[in-house]
Amino acid sequence: MNGKYWNEEIETMPRKQLEKLQVERLKKTVEIAMGSEFYAPKFKELGITPESIKSVEDIKRFPFTTKNDLRATYPFGIKSIPLDKVVRLHSSSGTTGNPTVILHSQKDLDEWADAMARSMYCIGLRNTDIIQNTSGYGMFTGGLGIQYAAERLGALTVPAGAGNSKRHVKFITDFGTTALHCIPSYATRLAAAFEEEGIDPRTTTVHTLIIGAEPHSEAQRKRIEEIWGAKAYNNFGMSEMCGPGVAIECQEQNGMHIWEDNYIVEILDPVTLEPVPEGELGELVLTTLNREAMPLFRYRTRDLTRILPGDCPCGRTHVRLARFQGRSDDMMIVKGVNIYPIQIEKILMQFPELASDYLITIETIGDNDEMTIEAELAQATDDFAMLQNLTKEITRRLKDEILLTPRVKLVGKGVIPQSDGKAKRVNDLRHNH
Amino acid sequence: MKTIKQISIFLENQRGKLSDILTALKDQNIEIQAASVADTTEYGILRLITSNQKKAAELLSAKGHLVNLNEVLAIQVEADTASFADAIDALTAGGCSISYLYTFHKDGKLVLIIRPANLEKAEKVATESGLTLIQGWE
Repeated sequence: MNGKYWNEEIETMPRKQLEKLQVERLKKTVEIAMGSEFYAPKFKELGITPESIKSVEDIKRFPFTTKNDLRATYPFGIKSIPLDKVVRLHSSSGTTGNPTVILHSQKDLDEWADAMARSMYCIGLRNTDIIQNTSGYGMFTGGLGIQYAAERLGALTVPAGAGNSKRHVKFITDFGTTALHCIPSYATRLAAAFEEEGIDPRTTTVHTLIIGAEPHSEAQRKRIEEIWGAKAYNNFGMSEMCGPGVAIECQEQNGMHIWEDNYIVEILDPVTLEPVPEGELGELVLTTLNREAMPLFRYRTRDLTRILPGDCPCGRTHVRLARFQGRSDDMMIVKGVNIYPIQIEKILMQFPELASDYLITIETIGDNDEMTIEAELAQATDDFAMLQNLTKEITRRLKDEILLTPRVKLVGKGVIPQSDGKAKRVNDLRHNH
Repeated sequence: MKTIKQISIFLENQRGKLSDILTALKDQNIEIQAASVADTTEYGILRLITSNQKKAAELLSAKGHLVNLNEVLAIQVEADTASFADAIDALTAGGCSISYLYTFHKDGKLVLIIRPANLEKAEKVATESGLTLIQGWE
């Protein structure tokens, strides 16, 4: 395992050839999706057949698929193959209606494990590594998705699961874990657990963190790398596409290569649904090319990103996605201003006096929407004026960024509620929510 | 330098926060000699001089409080207002400004805990003015 690539032919395939592969796979996927009660009538109406597909541009003829479609067809309405060929399902929580269900055939699972193994290889992990997974092993794809991929890579895999930081600390110490898979907020919490045991996380055997499933800024990544004395790579996946293994940063740490042998990538204006000019911000829309139980066409991810221009020095030809600039779903409209939590996070990370946790609360006071931002202090001080000035300065910089004045409240450790899942960043208490 | 250690704890205005700190100290038989609170409606800083600063800081830190240890001047004077005034006058005359101050009585004397804007300078002025500085007791 000394090569630079997991699959050199695919990863470095010239663009023209890669597009040819995409067209072949799109044809094949259409053929499979003819078996779907959901897609078959749509294809018929639009005249979409495998033979009618000549180039990647033909993707524009396809209908969009949304999360609402997944909910409306819950649980098995989009499947393209009989259920007896389906071997697993994953499901997202149904906090706003039906949960969504994604079906996998054995081939789907194999391709998924291979794609995520390729991603791990891409950031320098090898079969000599010991990979510990801090994701829950349930319906969340971050558990099993990482497990099977790490095993495919040939690494010793520790399925420690979510929560119980003390146990994670013990496992890392006892097993000599070299790589962790975790959400960014857990990376900082686990580091704190080490410090509580009197161990500097930089002295552990961990050299790589795979972080994802939660929006985070470049500053937060840098902080994670600093406290761990390790490299942290941004990993992108979503259960609708399979799970982790859709895109990952290479060792250049400049954008995530999205595996285009598996997906057709479009960046569209979320309102007009037309392609944005090259390199501009828009909604990521994906079509699966290598799945059979439940292929999805032009799936609206709601993630806002852009394609980085130019070639990557790593030699991979698959396009790079910029760090996500929030989700169209996460967007808050406060006093008529569109605000993404990541804008606030970016500002808070500029202050070394602050730790990484924060909570945005929006509530109606009188006739007005008011925003309160609770930010966790990193350390105590005897200097009261410093705290007051800090509050003022944070408020000022936030106002410059989001164009309204939030109330900034400094809090101590453990005040901001935590759950073992994704960190809660926004608490919208307005009457209309 | 002739200084002593002070503990500062960040306090958000939360029910039970102060009790939690006091109970922790009580359970370890750490005695509080002086305490001062600076606050707004949202948070405060509790500054403490205790019988064992190092132990108190470690204990509170382990309990999840944000704790800071820093150096302050402890000037011992006679327990009357005139002596208090003389000490402050001496520092002021020497060009020192004071960020905050609190006091407590110990062994029939008055102890002034002072955080000057410039610690080194204030220590020098206090020494040259013949004030009694307490050093490093815990």
